[in-house]
Amino acid sequence: MTSTAIPEGTDWAALLARTSFIELSARARAAALLDDGTARELCGPFDRIESPWLEPQGVVPESDDGVVVVKGELGGRPAVVIAIEQAFQGGGIGEVSGVKIAATLSLAARDNRDGTPTVAVLLLETGGVRLQEANLGLATVAEVCSALLELRALQPVVGVIAGALGCFGGMSIAAGLCTRLIMTRESRLGLDGPQVIESEAGIAEFDASDHTLIWSVDGGTQRTGTALADALVLDDVTAVRSAVIDAVGHGVPGRHRSQRIDELRALLEAVDPADPPEPADLAAVWANAVPPRGDRR
Amino acid sequence: MASTAAAPRDWTRRRTAKRERLEAVRPFASGRVLDAGRMRDALQALLRPGDRVALEGDNQKQADFLAEALAGCDPNVVHDLHLLISSISLREHLDVFERGVARRLDFAYAGPQSVRVAQMLADDKIEVGAIHTYVELYARMFVDLTPDVALLCAEQADHEGNLYTGPNTEDTPTIAEAAAFRDGVVLAQVNELVDRVPRVDIPGDWVDLVVESPRPFVLEPLFTRDPRQIGQVEILMAMLALRGIYERHGVTALNHGIGFDTAAIELILPTYGEELGLRGKICRHWTLNPHPTLIPAIESGWVESVHCFGGEPGTERYVAARPDVFFIGGDGSLRSNRVLCQLAGQYAVDMFIGSSLQIDACANSSTVTEGRLSGFGGAPNMGHDPHGRRHASPAWLSLLGGEAPALRGRKLVVQITQTFRSGGTPAFVESLDAIQVGKDAGMPIPPIMIYGDDVSHVVTEEGVAYLYRAGSLAERREAVAAVAGATPVGRDLDERRVEELRRDGLVALPEDLKVDVRRADRSLLAARSIEDLIAWSGGLYDPPAQFRTW
Repeated sequence: MTSTAIPEGTDWAALLARTSFIELSARARAAALLDDGTARELCGPFDRIESPWLEPQGVVPESDDGVVVVKGELGGRPAVVIAIEQAFQGGGIGEVSGVKIAATLSLAARDNRDGTPTVAVLLLETGGVRLQEANLGLATVAEVCSALLELRALQPVVGVIAGALGCFGGMSIAAGLCTRLIMTRESRLGLDGPQVIESEAGIAEFDASDHTLIWSVDGGTQRTGTALADALVLDDVTAVRSAVIDAVGHGVPGRHRSQRIDELRALLEAVDPADPPEPADLAAVWANAVPPRGDRR
Repeated sequence: MASTAAAPRDWTRRRTAKRERLEAVRPFASGRVLDAGRMRDALQALLRPGDRVALEGDNQKQADFLAEALAGCDPNVVHDLHLLISSISLREHLDVFERGVARRLDFAYAGPQSVRVAQMLADDKIEVGAIHTYVELYARMFVDLTPDVALLCAEQADHEGNLYTGPNTEDTPTIAEAAAFRDGVVLAQVNELVDRVPRVDIPGDWVDLVVESPRPFVLEPLFTRDPRQIGQVEILMAMLALRGIYERHGVTALNHGIGFDTAAIELILPTYGEELGLRGKICRHWTLNPHPTLIPAIESGWVESVHCFGGEPGTERYVAARPDVFFIGGDGSLRSNRVLCQLAGQYAVDMFIGSSLQIDACANSSTVTEGRLSGFGGAPNMGHDPHGRRHASPAWLSLLGGEAPALRGRKLVVQITQTFRSGGTPAFVESLDAIQVGKDAGMPIPPIMIYGDDVSHVVTEEGVAYLYRAGSLAERREAVAAVAGATPVGRDLDERRVEELRRDGLVALPEDLKVDVRRADRSLLAARSIEDLIAWSGGLYDPPAQFRTW
């Protein structure tokens, strides 16, 4: 696994020759991850399951509602990839797209119980719940999380955030529940997006135009450096696919990150919100923040 | 013998005034160096009511420390100034008027302050002499608008007053010359006072006073476009432009306006252009700021020379490492010059291509939108056919016109735009917003950016209109309509008429140009992100923080 995405002394020609993962559409990304010739889309655009809520609000709907579900094999194992299309409504999750994700995860769990050990990969390029379908979208995110919890007890659920759009809002909770999380250095992960924080708490709290600040907090390098994500990869189809196969190979852990409450609490306690550490120092601060032994379960 | 001899005239009043001004400012200076802590007092000593003051606000760099000091002057002491500002970019530029320090304004461009300019004009807070193009304003500094005082901006100065501008030379030498040689006072803010400047951009004997600014001057990266934001439609238009104009007319020397449309063209040269075998045949000589999106074309051997209006933050190391292409000083850094580059753009290049916000049925084009008085900048200088040109080139001759024996070629002036802009606003309109804005501001003529009769081609996602081939105004309007899509200008044109226009060579659709619309895809971009541009530059391009997404 690469620890830095673009190190010094980079082979620039090789970098330019790579096939960018995030440049692909959601459908092409899902197919690119799966073993050649195994991809089969479920509930595709020709099933014409569209959001009924967009057109009345002046938004042209899409026939897959921005979520692409593809079954196939990953390194020879049964797998399903759920890819969010960031070009449609900023990857926003609505009633239909949310249910597609939740139902896919539930069905994968059922397959597992029925003897087909299916893993799931979530491609999470999303700003969160779609504003036009706020309440319904929120409800489906809860269903997504619930189905994810059901599946991850049986097989790994791997999250990938590859693009600069990032993964924010309700879907960032799903990201946090994933067995393992893979990011690029351009990608971002956060509960509230920078603009939301700035408009709610003021520019002094978070300046949404300050790229250096944003990526130093939400960026893939920081999130993997502080162990809130697991692998930092180059935006390259081959690199992402190997990282996903590698993540699946780790299997189901004894405790998921989101279950290690004691450790996460220790991390929170190691930071004084009134005098927060510099983002660059956070990894070092957290490295020393081990929970008291007696608290471990 | 009585003769009526005129009373002896004093021929050195400006020189005397200059001497008195410098004398008045002496308590605030040590040699040529002013005390930055007492800048306001120094200006109050230097300036006289009614003075004509050139305040350097260029397209890119800003004499912001001096602007702030000027805005802070006591209007009882300094008032009724006449300011010459090429680009009104800072709040302070207008605070000067709000506070009554200045009264009259001659300018060229007011991009970021365009709403406030319109408002202050309506409130009678500013008396505008005229809105110019860049070169016009500088030209007038040598005719009827010579500054009494020039407030300039440079990177470094030495104690003899020699100025080093770094890559953003821009307008400084021109304004300095206008003031220095007619007894104006030249005062420059610099980022740093040094013992020896690495290169003399403005000689010390043109410069009377310098002051070390407490912070570096403001410099915006206006010419950087992130390739991630280029979509299929821009790429399709770039393909149409390349085949329908660059290739067809053999355009070797050119200027690109700023925007995603032209950035897309720059980025498909090494891919689509290469495939068409056009390297070495087109796009060899440029008058252009160091656009980061030109890096792939430079690196793949398309570009022989680039002369720049100004610099661009982040490109310094890259540009310095390509001295065969760019104009580089003995110190190893770029030397730009807006006036000379504008001159080159008028007389030495064969084509200007730029994005428009609004185009009317006659192809008049404008970037003025309601409620904004944004001025002209340099686009009209580049976007016209200069009748003073006499040297021929294949591209220029390919637009041969005029009545024999007075035959002449013509510069290609190309406007490129999608038929609808974001939010579904039509780019083709019955009447430009500029017409109303001009009326509201009491301008003597409407602020049209590029006149329709100068526009030789219009490119949209529908195709290319060859307006220079139109035999009449009616035909020109039809050719515009044929590429105007479903906008009010385009939707009523008869299909059969479009067929005739295609046959007569006034309009070309993608299939006429053998452009495969299905190939208009981001995979045609030589660089699809800022990181790709860094990679193309071999790590020499160093993008400003706001363009980093990592």
